[in-house]
Amino acid sequence: MIDFTRRKVLGVAAGTMASAIGAVQLAEPAAADDAADLDLFVRLSAALTGIDALQLAPLRDPLQIKRVYFKQAKSDPAFESLMQIVRANPDDPAGAAGKIMNDPDPKIKYLGRSIILAWYLGAWYQPTVLAQTPPPSSVVPLKIISPTAYTQAWAWRVAQAHPMGYSELRFGYWSDEPLPIDDFVKLKGA
Amino acid sequence: MRAEKTDEFDALIVGSGVSGVLIAKKLGQANKRVLILEAGQDLPPDINEYMNRFLTATAKVPESPYPPELFHGGKLTDPATVNAGRPTVLSLGAKGGPGDWQDPKQSYLIQDGPLAFGSTYERVNGGAARHWLGTSLRFLPADFEMKSRYGRFTDWPIKYGDLESWYGEAEKEIGVAGDAQEQTNHLGISFSSPYPMPKIPLSRVDKAVDAAMSGLQVGGVGLDELQWRVSSTPAARNSQPYQDRRVCAGNTNCIPICPIQAKYDPSVTLAEALRTGNVQVRYRCAASAVEVDETGRVSGIDYIQFDGDNGPVIRRGRLTAKVYILAGNAIETPRLLLMSKSERTPDGVANRRGHDGVIGKFLMDHPLYLAWALAPRPVWGYRGPLSTAGIEVCRDGEFRRDRGAFRIEIGNEGWNFPIGDPDTTTVDLVNGLNNSQLNKDNKALFGPALVKELNDKLSRQFRLGFLIEQSPDDSNTVSLSATAKDRLGLPRPRISYNLSDYTKRGLAAAKTTATAIFDAMNADQFTSAPPVDDPSSFPWPSGQMTRLKYYGAGHIVGTHRMGSAAAASAVNDMQQSWDHQNLFLVGSGTFPTVGTANPTLTIAALCLRTADHILHRVLN
Repeated sequence: MIDFTRRKVLGVAAGTMASAIGAVQLAEPAAADDAADLDLFVRLSAALTGIDALQLAPLRDPLQIKRVYFKQAKSDPAFESLMQIVRANPDDPAGAAGKIMNDPDPKIKYLGRSIILAWYLGAWYQPTVLAQTPPPSSVVPLKIISPTAYTQAWAWRVAQAHPMGYSELRFGYWSDEPLPIDDFVKLKGA
Repeated sequence: MRAEKTDEFDALIVGSGVSGVLIAKKLGQANKRVLILEAGQDLPPDINEYMNRFLTATAKVPESPYPPELFHGGKLTDPATVNAGRPTVLSLGAKGGPGDWQDPKQSYLIQDGPLAFGSTYERVNGGAARHWLGTSLRFLPADFEMKSRYGRFTDWPIKYGDLESWYGEAEKEIGVAGDAQEQTNHLGISFSSPYPMPKIPLSRVDKAVDAAMSGLQVGGVGLDELQWRVSSTPAARNSQPYQDRRVCAGNTNCIPICPIQAKYDPSVTLAEALRTGNVQVRYRCAASAVEVDETGRVSGIDYIQFDGDNGPVIRRGRLTAKVYILAGNAIETPRLLLMSKSERTPDGVANRRGHDGVIGKFLMDHPLYLAWALAPRPVWGYRGPLSTAGIEVCRDGEFRRDRGAFRIEIGNEGWNFPIGDPDTTTVDLVNGLNNSQLNKDNKALFGPALVKELNDKLSRQFRLGFLIEQSPDDSNTVSLSATAKDRLGLPRPRISYNLSDYTKRGLAAAKTTATAIFDAMNADQFTSAPPVDDPSSFPWPSGQMTRLKYYGAGHIVGTHRMGSAAAASAVNDMQQSWDHQNLFLVGSGTFPTVGTANPTLTIAALCLRTADHILHRVLN
């Protein structure tokens, strides 16, 4: 009775989103010499998050959330060091991700974690806060990166759900089982 | 102060919440001239302004979408700098920490304790019902008769039968989706008219809880013989198009804001009231005093009009009408009455000079016990309205002689309420922490392993909320702070609040029941004990080290109670002041006892009844 299609569930209909959110925040176009880094950043993000790069940054990508996270990550002092690892492994983002997540330099490791959390939660958790010891009982983000970042956050899709306050489904959908996890999240390399 | 020429108004209403707007609409439709004073501001032209405030709020609390700003310079806004302030759950923190519940620079309410009052409200078009859930249960017949049935507290001056038809009217006015036959079958209450919309379907979480009901046994709390069952919750949430509003799309965000207005809020009724052409509303006008003349009738209301949440005063004036209706809420209405001290009313208006005034006394809530667990298999929370069903069959019984009753609300939002998920668990799994208790090995995951682990945990989360019937205690009070003021110079509300042993026993019974339900479901419980410095917690059993935590339910009740005689109440069953015949105090402040049903539907029913009384007995 309920019209589920994958396109509806995954919901990347830009027009709907723009009208629902009001102010879609598009980052300014990346400079030419950033383009290659941006591409590497997306591939690294896929390896870090476990989510296929074409889901993080679809070929037709009206929201361009990758640019927003790229710009956010780039503002971190350890970003250049992190990107050097990625550039050194251009055809092996999974290997680069493994190196970053095990990097002896905490600035690089925790920046990697901040990038994962940006994709999952649409929020910027400062690497310095993630690195605190002992860890705080409540880890608070610096900010929600943008309204669009919140509505594009992947943790909700990993839960086979939708961001609270941002359903694109129809009345009564909650009474049925959701589509399988594979229909929400394409695993990286799966 | 000279009164403005407003003699043309039949009624002056303070507050544009659900009480005020329902009465305004009914009077306006009968060609009575009505003026509403609202201390807060009008809605923005586009709901996206509120949505964007919500979306970008790092702490998504009931108050997040709405003005005035909760934060200033990285700290909670000092309420002394705000013209019309409001409480927030962010200022329920431990003493000395962020959001210190007793720091007047962080908390609008001046909380004397010994325990914290946890419920909040809004001062904006629509009032507290801007961030309500939509639950629209009727009170049970026994809820009106606690004294005669169980020897506890007091009876209402009306019974269920007096209100039954008004419940039906209220369900149409606010648009309730529900199943009357199911309510009758499960609770034994009568309905003379069906709900205007069919019920909201149950969620997967509801069905998982329901599947365990047949095998459930709860011992020792007076529920041994109960036939347990899950009931769909009647809610003011569209299951089909209604009042030109859309059908619910399951945004899982009723609190704090429905992005598509599928949930009723008072601006719906206010718009209808304004369309009559007989109703006006003035925003950013805070009522500051109620004046009484030598005959004992209210003769005017003083107000302060201001510019912006933190801007200057524009005007001070006095407004007059034939009838005055205070429809603030059970904190702001007694505050206004107590601010209205004069030679004629030395203890405040409607507070019975020379008698035991009750204004501000008997403050109640539904202290909420929260319990959370992982189901053995996915139940897929974070989907659907925040709650679609509950357990209602435990709301009444002989046990009410001994302890507070409760209803059980089944949550559809995973562990969002208990621990702020999905954020907390996601951060745990990425950063090797265990604040969620779901990452005991402190794994720091990435890649596909992260997706799999997070999916497994989030899809099995669910929670239960127990709304406890609180005893009416005259020591739980709203009074005026002697020192703390808002930016208009008006004294801020001072709250003295505690839970009686009757209420605490209700919370303890909730804990027992939660554990039994989780056991019957083979679910792993993760409910955590509160820290010792949590002001919303207490040791239980008394004198032991173990503690129980409660939350505010957002149900502010009881501070200008109704009664059958003037001696022990502020208003009669028409919510009309005993002391001042042209003054009505409306809303959940008039409830003598709180029952277990969320109060809004009963507020609406009482106010429709009061509007009818005003039209036919007072203004005719």
